[in-house]
Amino acid sequence: MHNVKRHKQTPEALAEKRQREKSKIDEYLALTDDVLSRKKKQDWSNDAFELTQRLLQINPEFYTVWNYRRNILLNGIFPQSTPEQINNLLSNELSMTTTALKANPKVYWIWNHRRWCLENVPDGPERNEVPSMEWRQANWDKELFVAERMLDADARNFHAWNYRRYVLANMPTRRPETSELAYTSRKIGANFSNFSAWHQRSKTLVGLWESGQLDPIQSRDDEFEFVSNALYTDPEDQSAWIYHRWLIGSGENKAQLEREIQLIFELLQEQPDSKWCMESLVHYKRLLLQNHAQDSQTLKQECGELLSRLADLDPIRYFRYQDLKRDLDQ
Amino acid sequence: MSTSLLVPQHVAYIRALSGDSKHELSYDLSAHLRMNAVYWSLTALLIMGHGDALDRDEMIDFVMSCWDEEADILSLQQPSGSFAGDAFGETDTRFLYCAVNALSLLGKLDKLDVEKTVAYIRRCSNFDGGFGAVAGAESHASRVFVCIASLAILDRLDEVNQPTLFWWLSERQLPNGGLNGRPEKLEDVCYSFWVLSALSILNKLTWIDSSKLEAFILSAQNTESGGISDRPGNMPDVFHTIFGLAGLSLLGYPTLVDLDPVYCMPTSIIENMGLRKGWKALQRRTS
Repeated sequence: MHNVKRHKQTPEALAEKRQREKSKIDEYLALTDDVLSRKKKQDWSNDAFELTQRLLQINPEFYTVWNYRRNILLNGIFPQSTPEQINNLLSNELSMTTTALKANPKVYWIWNHRRWCLENVPDGPERNEVPSMEWRQANWDKELFVAERMLDADARNFHAWNYRRYVLANMPTRRPETSELAYTSRKIGANFSNFSAWHQRSKTLVGLWESGQLDPIQSRDDEFEFVSNALYTDPEDQSAWIYHRWLIGSGENKAQLEREIQLIFELLQEQPDSKWCMESLVHYKRLLLQNHAQDSQTLKQECGELLSRLADLDPIRYFRYQDLKRDLDQ
Repeated sequence: MSTSLLVPQHVAYIRALSGDSKHELSYDLSAHLRMNAVYWSLTALLIMGHGDALDRDEMIDFVMSCWDEEADILSLQQPSGSFAGDAFGETDTRFLYCAVNALSLLGKLDKLDVEKTVAYIRRCSNFDGGFGAVAGAESHASRVFVCIASLAILDRLDEVNQPTLFWWLSERQLPNGGLNGRPEKLEDVCYSFWVLSALSILNKLTWIDSSKLEAFILSAQNTESGGISDRPGNMPDVFHTIFGLAGLSLLGYPTLVDLDPVYCMPTSIIENMGLRKGWKALQRRTS
């Protein structure tokens, strides 16, 4: 149970609640018994199909019933249906679960059921005796829209992000990856703190670099500029800093590392108590030490001073700063 | 709010779950979680040293009544190496951990394609050192636990980008002492276990402030009815009760029983089976 406020209940109030709930409980238990006994008897009828819907509307977490519902479709209803009817049935399933998702955006089983529906949409309708794939196309396109609406409601819902990636990777006509880059720009622009969108951006860029659609060197420089906006807007939000650290990577590019160290140093002048400025400076200076300037006593000293300030400023991670300080001397 | 652990209240709370609560609608609506609830309740009681507070035979009968003779764990592994949760195939690193954990307890790890399994965990790793639910997914502390614990069972912790993961995990702690599961999200008691288990498996528990975390978990106790909630002031439930207690055990809270962070079961059980790995919890305090 997440985020449900505690409230005090007197014994009288509790007894009253039980009385009120009694008829609901009886109805729910009768429905559950009916559905589970039909499942046991492998009842694949339309009646059984209707009953699973009623039960799932009361309790969308009842995964056994989702599985039973799919089995009714596969074993009872699909074999007696034309491809067009199957497409209509699955479109209805998708509509029904859209409503359910709005009320329960974090229920795994609902997202899972949609995946199954999409994967079972027939190839038709036939045009000149060739499957046109139009049904598939229409359903998958709609899914991207649904995932976006869910992310409008909660931009950090990882179910919706995972589902979005699944749809993008499996839709019959793939969208250009550059449009996903634009989508993450919009989500980040709406809220710099949305690490889910920064994460998606890193995955999208790797894809674009590996396929040669974007030049990794130029594009990385563009990203540094993009992220510095976020760093300056709220230097204490860790999302953009984590992304910045990804851009730097193992720090092989000395000029880049020095340029970013200088920029962060300037930000620190403006925000003298910024933990994330100091934290990042230590990390990047350590990379400079490891890769480009192994014996620099100045760098070691600067890191040591920053780590001492961090230990004062951020005492809950005191031992981390101590451990890093000790590593400097080794 | 209480600054010490209310063991008698929590024991009473868990006992009531299978007694009084049976008359409430929420009990019936959570029937699909009954198996989880048995595990969470029993483990919570064992950590508090009250393993006998629930009827042993009743629990065994219930578990055996759920046995499906046809189900086979290994058949759930997908060509990618991931595991599905059931025959309809939702995949998640949670299911991969369930499979690895169960095969190990059954002494059947030799039947598992370890390379394929580890290769899938590798695909779920991210640049921040963490792991997601599927390949491509954002790092989440609960998936860090399942992936790290799976790698520990398979003796493959060499796969982990340790310095980056330690950094990411220690940044889960917020100024109020609680831990969150992803950057810029709220604290929640259950992350006490997801984050601490990984830190303790990798022997890095010092990188967060244990006394502040302990105070946070204790502040989420319900002093009247017992039980622990996600955050102070919210309704308690057995899920947050077990993972709050598990966190406290790893932090060395006095009088609690040692918990194995790889299996989330009492250490003595895992040691008797010869399955103990090289994890370290904080030393148990005497007061």
